[in-house]
Amino acid sequence: MADTLLQGLPVSALRSAAPLLLVLLGECLTQRVGRINLGVEGQMLVGAVAGYGVTALSGQPWLGMAAGAAAGALLSAVYALLTVAARADQFASGLAVLMLGYGVSAYAGSGLVGLRIEGFALGAGGTTPTLWLAVALVPLIGLWLYGTRTGLVWRSVGESPAAARAAGITPWKVIVAGITAGGVLSGLGGAALSIDHTRTWAEGMTAGRGLIAVGLVIVARWNPWLTLPAALLFGLAEALSLRLQAAGSAVPAHLLHTLPYLASLAVFAVTCARLKGGGGPEALRAVFAR
Amino acid sequence: MKLLRHLAVFAFAAGAAISHAATIGYIYVGPEKDYGYNTSMDVGRKFVEKSIPGTKTLHVENIPETAEVEKVMERMIKQGGASIIFATSYGYLDYAIALGKKYPKVAFLHAGGLKIGDNVGTYWANSDDAMYLAGMAAGAVSKSGKLGFIAAFPIPQVVRSINAFTLGAQAMNPNATTTVVWTGGWLQPPKEAEATNSLADAGIDVIGEQVDSPMTIAQTAEKRGIYMVGKDVDVSKLAPKAVLTGASWNWGPTMLKLTKEIQAGKWKPSHVRGDLKDGTVVLDPFGPAVPEGVRKTVLAKKDDILKDKFVVWSGPMTGQDGKAILPAGTRMPMEQLESMNFFVKGVVGTVQ
Repeated sequence: MADTLLQGLPVSALRSAAPLLLVLLGECLTQRVGRINLGVEGQMLVGAVAGYGVTALSGQPWLGMAAGAAAGALLSAVYALLTVAARADQFASGLAVLMLGYGVSAYAGSGLVGLRIEGFALGAGGTTPTLWLAVALVPLIGLWLYGTRTGLVWRSVGESPAAARAAGITPWKVIVAGITAGGVLSGLGGAALSIDHTRTWAEGMTAGRGLIAVGLVIVARWNPWLTLPAALLFGLAEALSLRLQAAGSAVPAHLLHTLPYLASLAVFAVTCARLKGGGGPEALRAVFAR
Repeated sequence: MKLLRHLAVFAFAAGAAISHAATIGYIYVGPEKDYGYNTSMDVGRKFVEKSIPGTKTLHVENIPETAEVEKVMERMIKQGGASIIFATSYGYLDYAIALGKKYPKVAFLHAGGLKIGDNVGTYWANSDDAMYLAGMAAGAVSKSGKLGFIAAFPIPQVVRSINAFTLGAQAMNPNATTTVVWTGGWLQPPKEAEATNSLADAGIDVIGEQVDSPMTIAQTAEKRGIYMVGKDVDVSKLAPKAVLTGASWNWGPTMLKLTKEIQAGKWKPSHVRGDLKDGTVVLDPFGPAVPEGVRKTVLAKKDDILKDKFVVWSGPMTGQDGKAILPAGTRMPMEQLESMNFFVKGVVGTVQ
């Protein structure tokens, strides 16, 4: 049993984690500039439907990925308009974007059900290009955020827009950039889910993964480097919940299905106890103070 | 968003309902275009609408098996003017029974339940025969003798499919086993993909399934170079190499018959059950991976089933734990069949 369980487990965990990792990276950047975008779930869905549609029409999965990213960015622009230009409540705006994304994707996708796409070819050990894309973005974004001047600007806006303004930065531009980055990455995550992971478009197929990403940002301590272990934790738990069954384990499936949430919750509890609320951008905390 | 869609449906219906033609409400647990279970019900709905001139249908999709069902059905009756309701999901039954008491003039038809009321009947079709035949193809094509089954929830209808699939496979290969993976949801494409991958990694080369849409599993199986057996809708065009065959639905004639009976005032609530014989269940065409000899054997068995020479649920039958379930020469009573909560010998997994 242990053999079948472990056979392919790392790739399996990575497959489950990759779409989530992309969304998580995006939401991490958005929250870094001081916004919590609950709309990522909707952005993921439009990314999934646009990516699937374009792949089905063009036969080019990479074109589909680009379309997914664009769709996510477009929907995140709605969130930016609401929260930056109209100064609307960011949670309500996020939920509005979520529902808009759900509705738009369901409408746009109704003609796509049952189309056949080729997707990406399988690489070594059952890996696919979107896995590598997600993993490669972690150090890129991590190095950029902590090692470059623009990264520093983004972080300073997230800590204190007022201080950033005093330093000659225009905070709203940075905030819009952070939201857009989140849109691009959540759209990519959705497209990876439909084009690569499932080769399917199904209404509401993200099943809460976007919202999970919002929560996992806290587990990752708003640190791009830590998004990888946070997403892998979730992916591993999900892969295990299915793999234990495939290996013939007698543990009740109901219990196994709670594994990803239990694992995330456990890490969350442990890290919170250690780090007493620290680690998050200061401006983000103002959200809670209102 | 969902609310808006409902409102649009009812606004349209309210204006049109004041006529003598019956209005029929359909409620789906998932999207009508899921290319699976809900699509099959929706194909039935369209068949009824087309077959009885003047009949209008309302349909609402994505209604979870919660108190929301009751609200939707009530809105269909009060605002939509529905006099017949098809409650198409397993968990809708208790709500249909409760509403049946409240609206005695409305006829409720539940898909596959085991309770009836004064104005609540059930309809279902037993896929077991077709699943058994598909299992035969699976057992014959499998090289490892290790089959898998991906399923949403351990309800009797699903447990029966798994058992029938396994019994069929064992008819071709007595040592065949079926490893079950539950996804915990009717429509969970990412989990379905990963479940397929897990089974493939475990050396399983043919997968059966009973989730709402066979698409993801079929296409993932194709990608991994293993085989699959479909359910609810024929998916061979999505995965031409992987699909061996499948057990599809054809609900239209049953729904039409029931509707006509109700409209003629001749209907009495009962458990209406269709199957392979009356065409409510269809054995899908064979894929290229099924050799000619196997096709012949499967079709011969199909013939035996149609002629009542062979009954899937007949003894001797042994449970997962090795204990006898059914003595030789006996048939399983319907109540035991429709409340099935055990696996037969050779199934790996738990009914929980």
